[in-house]
Amino acid sequence: MAKKVVAVVKLQCPAGKANPAPPVGPALGQHGVNIMAFCKQYNEQTAAQAGLIIPVEITVYEDRSFTFITKTPPAAVLLKKAAGIETASGTPNKKKVGKVGRAKVKEIAELKMKDLNAASIEAAMSMIEGTARSMGIEIEG
Amino acid sequence: MAGLKWREITITTRQENADEMAELFESVGAMGMVIEDPQLIADYIKQDLWDYHDVQIPDIPEGMIRLMAYLPVDERLGERLQQLQEELSARERLQGWPAHPLSLTDLQEDDWAHAWKAYFKPEKVGQRIVICPSWEAYEPGPDDVVLTIDPGMAFGTGTHPTTSMCIQALEEVINGDELVLDVGTGSGVLAIAAALLGAKQVLAVDNDLVAVQVARENVAMNHVEDKVEVRQNDLLAGLQESPDIIVANIVADVILRLAPAAAERLAPGKVLIASGIIQHRLDEVSDGLSAAGFSIDELISHGEWAAIVARRG
Repeated sequence: MAKKVVAVVKLQCPAGKANPAPPVGPALGQHGVNIMAFCKQYNEQTAAQAGLIIPVEITVYEDRSFTFITKTPPAAVLLKKAAGIETASGTPNKKKVGKVGRAKVKEIAELKMKDLNAASIEAAMSMIEGTARSMGIEIEG
Repeated sequence: MAGLKWREITITTRQENADEMAELFESVGAMGMVIEDPQLIADYIKQDLWDYHDVQIPDIPEGMIRLMAYLPVDERLGERLQQLQEELSARERLQGWPAHPLSLTDLQEDDWAHAWKAYFKPEKVGQRIVICPSWEAYEPGPDDVVLTIDPGMAFGTGTHPTTSMCIQALEEVINGDELVLDVGTGSGVLAIAAALLGAKQVLAVDNDLVAVQVARENVAMNHVEDKVEVRQNDLLAGLQESPDIIVANIVADVILRLAPAAAERLAPGKVLIASGIIQHRLDEVSDGLSAAGFSIDELISHGEWAAIVARRG
């Protein structure tokens, strides 16, 4: 059908655990979106990534129906998980907080490739390494 | 929890700081955030994937985004806000972040799970068809035909002009015993309307699997499973049926593309209802249908939208 888009809402929500509380409730409620329908669908699609916060872009149409796409988790989140650390370094130049192998960097780059503006897997890897350095995570191998 | 208040924290920051901000919010207990990003909207518009849009681009300086996170107003709030402020100040000092004044607003707990339903009320969209959300009690009049539908993942709650014009046209052309083909069924609303109005059989197709699933649920909710079949299919490709009526509420370009195949499937005298046509392309679509072998029975307009009832010559 001829769909007219009236809003795009971008959120980050815990995978598999979206509920009508903020941020989902107020962000979608103001556009008249069926919030339970969104939560159900989002939770189904992201259940396998439980524990991660996942970005999602919701397109709302004139009749308040909607579609959404989920994105890959932020590189920083994936790096912390890979390094087994809770928080990044506040002073990344001085204090190193963890290490991640190059193979893991490649794995993250491959996962994030479709959401990164990178021409090649090498370019994507160098972006991920940059993020790692800014967090005080060293690259091994 | 009734009466629970939330504190909305709004921060404008550089685009590249978004992920780290998400981390910071999470570390103080705010699960998730809203991101207002003018670049995102601009990218969507540039990709040209939308039929039409009326999206407000947020008024935020280039390269910047606005983030909103939420914390419950409780005894830990003060401590959490202080921690957030300290983390931000540290990044301003050490990593050259711009200043991040926190803007704080109170947000009353609302019944978000149900409040959106206020937008949907029973609505008579044709002479007989009344679209009614499943949670509303509606006492039908003697001639009313009630179609139950809830808004969700697929377009077509029935009250949109492009859909209501099709329903009006279906009311005029269905006498009973027709085979109706609904192309681009979305929520299934038109297929269900056709069945409720007396069509003998309805085949509804959509290329989007989500729409197919939602349409099937809506067909079941209206108890017309015996009449309506929903199938994933790309327009009319490969279909063997010879319908009496094809209804296509899609968009001008697709209708133009569909016209020759529709003419092939319809016997002389049979009807095509085409909708989803933006007013300024009506002449073009009307000419296209004529060229494909249709005569135009009726042009219907509603605001910026138009529909065509055409007959195979």
